[in-house]
Amino acid sequence: MAEELVRMENINKFYGSVHALRDVSLKVDRHEVVGLLGDNGAGKSTLIKVLSGAVPVTSGDIYVKGRRVEMHSTTDAIANGIETIYQDSALVPQLSIARNLFLGREILTKWGTLDDVAMEAEARKVMGRLNPNFRRFKEPVKALSGGQRQSVAIARAILFNARILIMDEPTAALGPQETAQVGELIKELKKDGIGIFLISHDIHDVFDLADRVSVMKNGRVVGHARTEDVTKDEVLGMIILGKCPPAAQPGPGAMLS
Amino acid sequence: MQNRTFLQRFIGASEFGPLVLLIAELAVFTFVNPAFLSALNISNILTFTVELGLIALAMTLLMTAGEFDLSVGSVFGFSAVIMWTLFNAGLMPMGAAFVVALAIALFIGWVNGLFVTRLNIPSFLVTLGMLLVVRGTALYITSGFPQRTWSAEGSVFADILVGEFSIGGFRVYMSVLWFVLFVIITHYILNQTKAGNWIQASGGNAPAARNRGVNVNRTKVLLFMFSAAMAAFAGIISSIRTSAANPNSGTGYELEVIAMVVIGGTVLTGGRGTIIGTVLGIFILRAMRNGIVLIGVPGLAYNIFIGAIILGMMALHSWLERRHNAGT
Repeated sequence: MAEELVRMENINKFYGSVHALRDVSLKVDRHEVVGLLGDNGAGKSTLIKVLSGAVPVTSGDIYVKGRRVEMHSTTDAIANGIETIYQDSALVPQLSIARNLFLGREILTKWGTLDDVAMEAEARKVMGRLNPNFRRFKEPVKALSGGQRQSVAIARAILFNARILIMDEPTAALGPQETAQVGELIKELKKDGIGIFLISHDIHDVFDLADRVSVMKNGRVVGHARTEDVTKDEVLGMIILGKCPPAAQPGPGAMLS
Repeated sequence: MQNRTFLQRFIGASEFGPLVLLIAELAVFTFVNPAFLSALNISNILTFTVELGLIALAMTLLMTAGEFDLSVGSVFGFSAVIMWTLFNAGLMPMGAAFVVALAIALFIGWVNGLFVTRLNIPSFLVTLGMLLVVRGTALYITSGFPQRTWSAEGSVFADILVGEFSIGGFRVYMSVLWFVLFVIITHYILNQTKAGNWIQASGGNAPAARNRGVNVNRTKVLLFMFSAAMAAFAGIISSIRTSAANPNSGTGYELEVIAMVVIGGTVLTGGRGTIIGTVLGIFILRAMRNGIVLIGVPGLAYNIFIGAIILGMMALHSWLERRHNAGT
């Protein structure tokens, strides 16, 4: 049986009187990529903000490896092994790769100064796993391509043993070649046992990479399905019409076909 | 893409432009009037340079964190007034008055920082308001009259701050040594310490820095306090050197200091700062002020040159940045 990494149960989120998430339940296992799909305003962004600790949940529970956890900040999420990788990478453009990787957890020498040698050595190790041809360690991050920046953001996540990655539109700003590169990275991470939530507008990307999809509409989960059990058209039907095909497992309150 | 060569990195560095400009400036002034590079003139340039320079060093850190402080000129004048008012009134010895003046400056910086970080008001507006409050207070408590400072003569404390000595006929004020010390300290902080990494991250991408556990607000508040303290320190040094604590002194310094920092290659929007560049920027402006008088240009034309230099340097930095990003 697959080892469960994170499970959200009956998550509700209110922004004032707006009910942004309604009884959302979702999970990801080790070695699994779950595609989170939905139109604009479906609630995907709110859900990942809840899981990444950026906004507090109104009600509901989050379990990491079976243990209930409280998420009050992004640092709480990171401490629980949950890292979020945004479209814009959330890196500091002027800093080097090593300094970005270790920002907030800098390695210091015995004199209390930054140990750039040790940080760069670690950066080379972790980047070597993800992108063996990468050589531009002395450059500031702003000098890198979009795909290389995503590599750095992913490297930062796995450097500190993140077991759960939330990837929010990781390829939206990338060209085809870089998109393929990030796709390869995701496959590698999955092999390493990491569980990934992949948020994307591109249904083709999601079908290429995800084992399961969860579709949201109007703050609810329409349904969950294994990508091998449903067609792209059926998933489009879930996104646009909120209709759950027979092969999918409906979410709470979803419209049933 | 391959790593850049040393030469490419040197040319692409933000300090390269100001370095070339300073060398060109020195060459032109020396060519027109060889007295420009005389020991006496260099000593004069250095003396006046360090007071604004001390503020510029702190401003570099603050601007790297994405903020700036328009109240430094008023704190420069106010702190000296406070120190000398307390001392002249016989309320406390000079050293204690110095500490009180610095503490008040730290408080001013703290208030600036709180308004900017807690209330999310742009530093331009907060420090503009503080400039008026502080300058107004200095004028009010002195009724607009300078405080007497000649009783500093012979004081060990005054000697430590601005005492002068000669090295082979070259007159040096202690304040130059203070400046050198703070150049080393600020350069070290910005480039070699965790605090420096946090300063750059706070200015480069504050939300990302917060996500990694960087306390952006505290970093900025501390930098506002450092900026105000350095302005106070510089103001007190200046008052002892010139034997005058004028409530109006330091007027306009804020813009000259920001110009020094920007010309040196620190970006106004934050994220990238260079102390070496700022030192070059300080010398560019102070040598310009001195040099145009020596070569016979009317002193009133000074601002024309400064404005032109700022525009030219911004264009150069922008061009170098684009080349750098294009990988050429």
